[in-house]
Amino acid sequence: MVITIKLRGSLIKYFNGQREKTIEVPLDCSAEEALKLAGIDWPKIENFGFVAINGKRVMIYDKLQDGDELKAYSKISGG
Amino acid sequence: MSDANVVFTLFFVLRQEHLERMNGTMKRLKFSKEKCIGCQLCAQVCSAIHEGMYIPSKARIGIETYYDRGGSLKYKDSYCTLCGICFKNCPTGAISKDDRIKVDYEACTGCGVCAGKCPKKVIKIIEGKAYICDTCDGDPMCVKVCPQGALRFE
Amino acid sequence: MLGYQNNILRINLTKKEAKTEPLRMDWAEKYIGSKGLSIKYLYEELKPGIDPLSPENKLIFMTGPLTGTSVPCSGKLAIAGKSPATGTICDCSIGGHSALKIKYAGYDAVILEGKLDKPGYLFIENDKITFEDAAELWGKGSHEAEAMLIDKYGHDYSVISIGPAGETLCTMACINSDYYRQAGRGGMGAVMGSKNLKAVVVNGTGGVKIPNIKEAVKRIAEIEKEDTLQEDNTFVYDGGTTAFLEACQDGGILPKLNFSDTTDEDWTKYNGEVLLESLEGKRGCGSCGLGCGNFLKMGDVVCEGPEYESISVAGPNAGNSDPVAIVKANQVADDMGLDTISAGDTIIWAMEMTEKGIHDFGVRFGEMDKYIEYLKLIARKEGIGAELALGVKKLSEKYGGTDFAMQVKGLEYPQYEPRGSWGMSLAYAVSDRGACHMRAYAPNEEVFAASIPPYTPEGKGEMVFNLAQWNAVKFSLCICDFWGTLNMELMAELMTLATGKEWTAADMAEVGTRVINIARAFNQREGFTAKDDTAPKRLFNEALKNGPGAGQKIPEEAFEDMKQQYYKVLGWDENGMLPESLLATL
Repeated sequence: MVITIKLRGSLIKYFNGQREKTIEVPLDCSAEEALKLAGIDWPKIENFGFVAINGKRVMIYDKLQDGDELKAYSKISGG
Repeated sequence: MSDANVVFTLFFVLRQEHLERMNGTMKRLKFSKEKCIGCQLCAQVCSAIHEGMYIPSKARIGIETYYDRGGSLKYKDSYCTLCGICFKNCPTGAISKDDRIKVDYEACTGCGVCAGKCPKKVIKIIEGKAYICDTCDGDPMCVKVCPQGALRFE
Repeated sequence: MLGYQNNILRINLTKKEAKTEPLRMDWAEKYIGSKGLSIKYLYEELKPGIDPLSPENKLIFMTGPLTGTSVPCSGKLAIAGKSPATGTICDCSIGGHSALKIKYAGYDAVILEGKLDKPGYLFIENDKITFEDAAELWGKGSHEAEAMLIDKYGHDYSVISIGPAGETLCTMACINSDYYRQAGRGGMGAVMGSKNLKAVVVNGTGGVKIPNIKEAVKRIAEIEKEDTLQEDNTFVYDGGTTAFLEACQDGGILPKLNFSDTTDEDWTKYNGEVLLESLEGKRGCGSCGLGCGNFLKMGDVVCEGPEYESISVAGPNAGNSDPVAIVKANQVADDMGLDTISAGDTIIWAMEMTEKGIHDFGVRFGEMDKYIEYLKLIARKEGIGAELALGVKKLSEKYGGTDFAMQVKGLEYPQYEPRGSWGMSLAYAVSDRGACHMRAYAPNEEVFAASIPPYTPEGKGEMVFNLAQWNAVKFSLCICDFWGTLNMELMAELMTLATGKEWTAADMAEVGTRVINIARAFNQREGFTAKDDTAPKRLFNEALKNGPGAGQKIPEEAFEDMKQQYYKVLGWDENGMLPESLLATL
């Protein structure tokens, strides 16, 4: 299936400054797995924040569906 | 023209050429106001390096932004461009200039001519002496701390 | 210790006397400066039970050992007193340049006592202190008052002023400086107004000494480049807090219609991308580095900001998606000297009251002309504004609607919906000045995190404590919240550089805990206990309908559980009280 990954904050460096990429992922793929396929190994990124699927925060291990938009944020601090 | 005059004229022309050549390659402070956030870290570190304390009132740079009656963002950009006007106008010869300005504090009388002529209003007369940017001997600290790259030395 | 001026300026406004005294260095060693040290002074000097709007209250402007140095983000000033909104201790952190001017004038702090016999302002230039008449300034908006004073004295001077809301003793009144910077919360503007003090004008031409300054300056410059200016912090320059809008929307904590639900489908109409199209320039505080201020010109409205809080309250929470109205509401609130959060929350509560037919306040969701008009009326306590100036707590006690009165201890809710961030309900409940997001920013850890569940009480006591301790240290150094990567080790290094005394991360953490404890001790002395650490009933009874947190409400037992966890970490008893053994350490 095909999903779109959008990056926010300082994570864009992992796509060489691009903010989004569409990639092919296997069925039943989790957010975590999809990011890894796109070259983002989140536990190794100290300032990794959170992920959202179709504009809703999910846990990193939650599953994707075909056509989903997966957004990954770098850490946010301050208010 | 007497020989002495020829020698003098030749010396003057060569010196002038030398200075102009230096001016072409000489590094100087450059300021991009659209990048400035008005933090005044430049003045703080300038005073710290030269005066041994954070005292922006004695800094040899004065870059600030302010809101004019809250309605528009204005810039004050006092920084040395190495234009040399202070050096050319110093009546006692206390100011010299090569790739930077130097003040001989023995010779400086604090007359204030340089400060009056300085087009960027950088120079201050403090306790009878002229305070002029010396570019930290070619490695200006203000440039190093400028967080947004508004100040450059090139 | 170096870094300090070892000099306090104490102003008796009643007698129009100015005296200096040495800083209590023994207190500075325990509380550092700014937040911690101002609370310590108030704890020692204020009689329990005083009326916050009486001359007995004091207003403290406190700097820290890093103020005036080239440490980035160190330009903030703590303004503290007893809050008329809550009756608790209240310290605020205001930006601009006033902190530096006070320090360069030779003072660690200015303590304002008593009350002027008629409206006046205080002029401070190094050791020259005068009391000036403010008849011409009184009644003026904060922006006009500041402009008049700058016209008179020049741009080298910093002005700290109040708007009409401070003059009318509105408990939502803020203190302004540099036009668009505020000590926003807890009604410190009303405390200033109660002293008949319209403004403080300050300039300082002296200096600040730290040990081995030439080496220190170079090390600080390295820290600036390596830590402050890393990309995790520089989003502040790119868009400032407008960037939070999308994260809060996706995180399910962007409140809508007076916190009746989360997420707003119109959020792209007023997000950062839209607002920043009108960007005129960026501006930071003195000693900044990050430059969060977005100076906008939108139509005929000129304003620095709006910040996330002000966008949310006048946006989705008010049923509004017009960005111009959001910016206008921000500009009017600033000029009137009103806290955008508290005043906004009061109006949106009134909107819900009207919509529900409980009481007709004459304003409904989405009516932004009235929202803006009501801000002016509240500030001047005119018409319906005189009533709304009471704030959400007192209004709900009078008219009903307590279940959706979004406040703690009388301070209105910031714009992070706790049903989507359970730890935030705890942070609001136990904050030292009522509902505040700046004491422990829970979403950071539980919403903006990949693998931590937000909808559980588990571990939230310790999480909120850790965040609160970190902020307590940061704000006692008077460093801005936006230096988000600044850890305890680095704070210890900065303190060591500035004071010449060796500080460790453990020392800093100890100060943080002590600061939390003394603030709690102050409130405890005023009669506050666990029963005052509350959450609005809405969080327990109504589930969110939209967003990632749809279906979520916080079970009351879970809330109580989080409170007990928090008390336990700090060694407080089940009633949230400090035992004698802890009080003795303050």
